[in-house]
Amino acid sequence: MKLIKNNKVVKLSFVALLITVAAAMFYTPTASAHGEKSQAAFMRMRTIHWFDLNWSKEVVPVNDTMTISGKFFVFSGWPETVDKPEVSFLNIGIPGPVFIRAGSWIGGQAVPRSVSLELGETYDFKVLLKARRPGDWHVHTMLNVQGGGPIIGPGKWVTITGSMSDFVNNITTLTGETINLETYNLENTYFWHAFWYAIGLAWLFYWARKPMFIPRSIAVEAGKADSLITATDKKVAMGFMVGAVVLVAVSYANTEEQFPVTTPLQAGLLRGIKSIQMPAPTVSVKVEDATYRVPGRAMQMTVTITNNGDSSIRLGEFQTAGVRFMDSAVAQDDTGYPDDLLAEDGLTVSDNSPLAPGQTRTVNITASDAAWEVYRLADLIYDPDSRFAGLLFFWDESGNRQMTTIDAPLIPTFI
Amino acid sequence: MSASQSAVRSRAEAVKVSRMFDWFILWAIFFVVLGGYHIHYMLTGGDWDFWSDWKDRRLWVTVAPIVAMTFPAAVQACLWWRYRLPFGAVVCVLGLLLGEWINRYLNFWGWTYFPVNFVFPSIFMPSAIVLDVVLMMTGSMTATAVLGGMAWGLLFYPSNWAVIGPLHVPVEYNGMMMTLADLQGYHYVRTGTPEYIRMVEKGTLRTFGKDVAPVSAFFSAFVSILIYFLWHFFGRWFSSTDFVKSA
Repeated sequence: MKLIKNNKVVKLSFVALLITVAAAMFYTPTASAHGEKSQAAFMRMRTIHWFDLNWSKEVVPVNDTMTISGKFFVFSGWPETVDKPEVSFLNIGIPGPVFIRAGSWIGGQAVPRSVSLELGETYDFKVLLKARRPGDWHVHTMLNVQGGGPIIGPGKWVTITGSMSDFVNNITTLTGETINLETYNLENTYFWHAFWYAIGLAWLFYWARKPMFIPRSIAVEAGKADSLITATDKKVAMGFMVGAVVLVAVSYANTEEQFPVTTPLQAGLLRGIKSIQMPAPTVSVKVEDATYRVPGRAMQMTVTITNNGDSSIRLGEFQTAGVRFMDSAVAQDDTGYPDDLLAEDGLTVSDNSPLAPGQTRTVNITASDAAWEVYRLADLIYDPDSRFAGLLFFWDESGNRQMTTIDAPLIPTFI
Repeated sequence: MSASQSAVRSRAEAVKVSRMFDWFILWAIFFVVLGGYHIHYMLTGGDWDFWSDWKDRRLWVTVAPIVAMTFPAAVQACLWWRYRLPFGAVVCVLGLLLGEWINRYLNFWGWTYFPVNFVFPSIFMPSAIVLDVVLMMTGSMTATAVLGGMAWGLLFYPSNWAVIGPLHVPVEYNGMMMTLADLQGYHYVRTGTPEYIRMVEKGTLRTFGKDVAPVSAFFSAFVSILIYFLWHFFGRWFSSTDFVKSA
């Protein structure tokens, strides 16, 4: 302390430090991410596999709509440490209601409520969003699982243009009234809260206008407590109490009269959600071993592939945790998939020549990209269940695609 | 001035100081209660009070009055038994509501843009007035617990119906029926609050048909009576001056 007082340079430095710290409070950038990189890697690799995703727009004016559609595979090797998706909710990962969720469907069924999903099944989904608040927003697919938490899928940046003050959310009720849900019932809410607050203040100030604590405490201590409540006080109090009860009864009756048709809140679990009948794969894949080379940010696996179909096939894509490792010689993305999740030449196969029908081949596959680190998938080696999983996509001569899954232990190598 | 001399020199000055002291104490009580009661209620009532699609006829009606009965009972105990001031419940609810409105307006609307018609707090003022008046008229903790506690629970749902009733109008949406409150919960995305977390219309109270709210309110009122006793004693204990005497 003495040093700060006596040394001018130290003193000025100290002031500068304080100003810097204080100024830091004014820097409040928008929180745009959703913690997707922090979620345990095995959760993202072994629960929900999102694929064929499409964000219909990248720029949306306020009041305009966009959709996110695609499919998700509920992984058969669901980890033991996460509750199964028997109660799940198709959500959307956005920073607050920057869009409103105008609709969501799984297998063609509207899903405003929770649903029950089956392991090993693939579902198609669609979420309709209506733009509300201008800005650049990271829009994620997301499935919440009871007992498992939010399982966040890939996200893409979408820009909303315009002004939020122009946003309207018109709804026609079953009683035939069209309302703007954005502002509906707002004045009524303010009125009743202000009304009752004013009555509460009136009661408080009725007592506060008279001496309160010291004289009353002295009187109570002196055994004169009964003298502190007068006959007028009692009359006023009765007026407040009877008035409050009557006002409640009148407001209730008026509301009933104004809104004769009301229903309870709706809740419940939707079962029997239809999955997609995926064609049975004609390719079988067996993982012989898999390693993750920490310095090289690459996952290598040795797999034995058997083609049981009638057309030769090639491996074109390995997808895990939303990151797509592709062999551009076989397949390319034309959907505008987020760049940071797409490794266009991230997949290397030791022998990716067409595998003829009936043939079996053992190959080394390397999936390498900075995404392993950026998306913290390499942290898999610190997870309690160090297994990896993902989808392999094969293409035949006619360009038809088929999907298989892999699920195997992963051994890290540090040198 | 020595320590043995009075700080005031006339009765007029004493009255003036006493009144100033009154306002300081009232100010302090208001904001201390605002902070404590608000945190308590947000932790125990939480989502039931945050969102219109949690304000149902079954669990909200049951939970909200029970967990909100606490501070009013305790503050009443202090203000009534020591000062014969019958505004303990009302001052609590005034503080709670001010805190809640600041939170809903600045945080829920100002920061995250949830519309206020979706995140308004519950109304407790009629219940609080009745609780205070019953204590004043009877001067009895037992009578206040039984009569006031009962009224506290029973008045809650009808007090709020003027605000939530319009949000229970049904609407058909994507082939399903829901209320406008349900639709608010669906439209205004809460990434961290999936639908299954919402605790509404759960339970086995099905033999009363659609008239569930009165049954829930009676149960809530009954438990509120018990909570009143408990927290009234907390209030008495906290406002005790025994520790000063012993010092």
